[in-house]
Amino acid sequence: MGLLAVGTPLEWPEAKKVAGHVREWGIEQLLAIWRRAKGKERDALLWGDEIEYLVVAFDDQKREVKLSLRQADILEALAGDSELLRQGGGVPDLQRGRNRPGKTAPTFHPEFGRFMLEATPGAPWGIDLKDLLDVEQDMKWRRQIAKEHMYDSEYPITMTTFPLLGDKKSLTPYFPPSGEKLRSQFVPDEIANPHIRFPTLAANIRARRGRKVELNVPVFIDENTARPWMDPTVDFNMHNWPEDDDVRNGAAKDDHIYMDAMAFGMGSCCLQITFQAKNMEEGRTMYDQLSPLGPILLALTAATPVYKGFLADTDVRWNQISAAVDDRTAEELGEKPLKNDRWRIPKSRYASNSTYISQDCRLKPEYLDPDLIVDEKVKARLLEDGMDERLATHFAHLFIRDPIVVFNEDLQQLDLTKVDHFENLQSTNWQHMRFKPPPPGNDTGWRVEVRPMEIQITDFENAAFSVFVVLITRAILSFDLNFYLPIPRTTENMETAHRRDAVLNDKFYFRKETLPKRQTRMNGTSNVSSAANTPQPSRPASPVGAVEDEYELMTVDEIINGKADESFLGLIPLVESYLDTINVDVETRCEIAQYLALIRGRANGTLWTAAKWIRHYVRGHEQYKKDSVVTNDMAYDLVKAVERMTIHEGRDGFAKEMLGECRQRE
Amino acid sequence: MKLILSTSNVLAAGSSLHRPSKSKSNAELISSLRTNFEAHYTVAANGHDANGTSEPTKPSYKTWTRQRDDGLEVPALDFESGGLQEEREQYDITLKLFYLPGASSADRETQTREAVDLVLRELHMPSVDLLIVSFPGIYFDEEEDCPDKLSTRGPVEAEPELIDTQISTWKVLESLHDQGLVKKLGIAEFGHDRLQTFLEKTTVRPSVDQINLRDCCSVPKALMALAKSRNVELLVHNDCSNVLPRGTVRELLGSGPQGAGVLAVASRAGDKRKGLHGEERTNGVAEAGLGGEVQPQWVVKYTAVVKNRGVVESKGYFAVAELSR
Repeated sequence: MGLLAVGTPLEWPEAKKVAGHVREWGIEQLLAIWRRAKGKERDALLWGDEIEYLVVAFDDQKREVKLSLRQADILEALAGDSELLRQGGGVPDLQRGRNRPGKTAPTFHPEFGRFMLEATPGAPWGIDLKDLLDVEQDMKWRRQIAKEHMYDSEYPITMTTFPLLGDKKSLTPYFPPSGEKLRSQFVPDEIANPHIRFPTLAANIRARRGRKVELNVPVFIDENTARPWMDPTVDFNMHNWPEDDDVRNGAAKDDHIYMDAMAFGMGSCCLQITFQAKNMEEGRTMYDQLSPLGPILLALTAATPVYKGFLADTDVRWNQISAAVDDRTAEELGEKPLKNDRWRIPKSRYASNSTYISQDCRLKPEYLDPDLIVDEKVKARLLEDGMDERLATHFAHLFIRDPIVVFNEDLQQLDLTKVDHFENLQSTNWQHMRFKPPPPGNDTGWRVEVRPMEIQITDFENAAFSVFVVLITRAILSFDLNFYLPIPRTTENMETAHRRDAVLNDKFYFRKETLPKRQTRMNGTSNVSSAANTPQPSRPASPVGAVEDEYELMTVDEIINGKADESFLGLIPLVESYLDTINVDVETRCEIAQYLALIRGRANGTLWTAAKWIRHYVRGHEQYKKDSVVTNDMAYDLVKAVERMTIHEGRDGFAKEMLGECRQRE
Repeated sequence: MKLILSTSNVLAAGSSLHRPSKSKSNAELISSLRTNFEAHYTVAANGHDANGTSEPTKPSYKTWTRQRDDGLEVPALDFESGGLQEEREQYDITLKLFYLPGASSADRETQTREAVDLVLRELHMPSVDLLIVSFPGIYFDEEEDCPDKLSTRGPVEAEPELIDTQISTWKVLESLHDQGLVKKLGIAEFGHDRLQTFLEKTTVRPSVDQINLRDCCSVPKALMALAKSRNVELLVHNDCSNVLPRGTVRELLGSGPQGAGVLAVASRAGDKRKGLHGEERTNGVAEAGLGGEVQPQWVVKYTAVVKNRGVVESKGYFAVAELSR
């Protein structure tokens, strides 16, 4: 999340008034990019991963762990590190001196939470397979650099959420909750990055929505959990802000852990991967083909079983972030008849994606989302300038939202060499896939971002999932794989992925036939590869059977490892087929084999997800009273355990249920 | 007479993908040959039988193969389509040439040139980056136990030939290298001793030694050290060395239900190999195919990968078998 412009942000009623203006200019900027870059060709595969960290502070004497709010100080220290700068790393948002070209050292970025850091490789990865071996080393380097710029008592951990976030005390330095911007019962305004963009984002989402955001996570019902369970941390008698009425109006649900601020969602850490495509069309293909894999990746990486000091009955972060930035009004939510707003909107700004955008002839209209909301005016403008129907629909869908943070200074003059207004909407649509047009000012091409994965505790796991996703994209493109699934099924799969141990116990809709059928050659003249250059019919030539027969419910194990009868090959066998097809050196192949073994094990249940491991750890803690409560003491031990895993990655035999034994052989 | 078998680009046919850890490692070659034959005789059949009688009789092999010089192309080769789309330098093109057991090592010059020539014509390219050769009967031995390994290796069907024979074959490869048709040369399944001898006795040294590791990842330290010190890259492969046994060719081309109807029923009483699916070959009713004894000679696998994107654009096989009447 880059810190773009600085200026005077408009408060909500004012921002709302200029929303149409921002959208119009955003669309003109999009058209300018599209005209400039639609013919961009032959870009290399470059890719990058983003790792997000929580900074925790231990007090070993008191057996306490707290979130450290020293993000700004740590970034300041990183930005001033001359050695890091000399190697091309640093903090791009706090430019100090000149960065050397050909940089290699990692770069660090602020995030929403003041307890978070984000780190990316200093230069993008390529597809040279030896690059894949550098990924994990680079991740370790990043963590080491981050750690070196912290206090001894602090540590950068990669848990999705801090288990005590919102307990009204586990912050250092301490600030009281109930500030003006967030108006949260549980967390102070100081929890957010102080850059004006972030508090404004939180405040305007709340203002647009007309009340605080509302996160209710089902509590894990254990033997001694009270029924109905009422979140004991909710204060029904607070009267600082009008929004304090929310809980008196039923915002906190029975049997749910209640949270009320953007920080509970946007304070979660994710593992995101961005790929550069050869050209726009390949990017659109990757966007479509990776989309049905999103929920599977989410279930495989599940790591979020604790919120606010309670065990939750779900395993992943996704819906909490979705609710944490849900700016829809009561009318848009369908709670009131439409009067002032333009439409009812089925999904939050942060949700599974709702469009397919490829011109692929295998994309049937039946796969598209029947409930898609589109701004017809925006779409008409895009079509008018020659954008095709599918891409215009995609952006006209993203542009149903209002811009949340608008800087007064940016409304003076439309600058078509910039993308600020376009990005204002684009980058506040947090869908599980993101299609990214080339930015102005450099040679970057069309990109696709894969966003559903949860951050993993160790760099080994994060590297494994990153490399796996990269290899899947290569298999998709090489073998012309077809994962198309009706979008509503992907939406359902995303919900399924939340269930406790969904990776083992639940089934997901998935396409049965993913391999291409051999095209019948007529007189030997059919040229498969030239078909890409000729216009495609909008419908497939031979629609065979109903769309409902194209997919079925499968376990994650079947999807990843294949079915025993080989009627479905499985994603890992596909990746292995790809690796068997290209030239891979021994060392790389063996390293990749470890990564694939981890994912294979997660899918077939021989290795646990972090969610399962953490839940098991908490329930086995000597202080646990089987009442769903994660005490400070337990949280301290848990985060210490996480630190231990991060350092040893199972080599010491610890957490081998989750990490396997492959690292112990070394 | 020579039979030239081809798959065309197997990536267009998903049926060529198999679960690597569970299938025999020549499953891709066999199934993609079969798929390609079927695709061709099916088209030929439809063309001849426009009124669509329901009986799916296979058309005569003559309708979809082509006799050229002393060879029969199965199916008829079509170099018009299938060429690579981008410039030469965009690709990493690898060939792996399997000299099959039972073929005479005296013919390797002709065989090698023919194999490279077929691939260059198929891909519309003037040269390839890497040519790996696989000699019959040699298996690299891992140090540690690897139970998977032997089961995927397949039966040992040939004794390793003398290293002098391999070195004289290598001279052919060196000349291809000198002509600029091949940038780098490689060998497969060489252990430390054989590699060391080879490095001493060759002019253009192998840049690659391709070994079959499966999941074991236990490369002997001596081999690793030798490879590192002499700049030989150790690459991984998953092929068995006899990729195309004689019985399989008979099965593919024969007159049985699974066969393409190119070969007649075997005349020799002693030739009673079991088919791929275990059944004895039955008498076909189709038009009589070619008679004689078939002997596979070589197989070449080609792969073209777009360098900076890691995308495989073309992959396929040519195979040549000798039919002696």
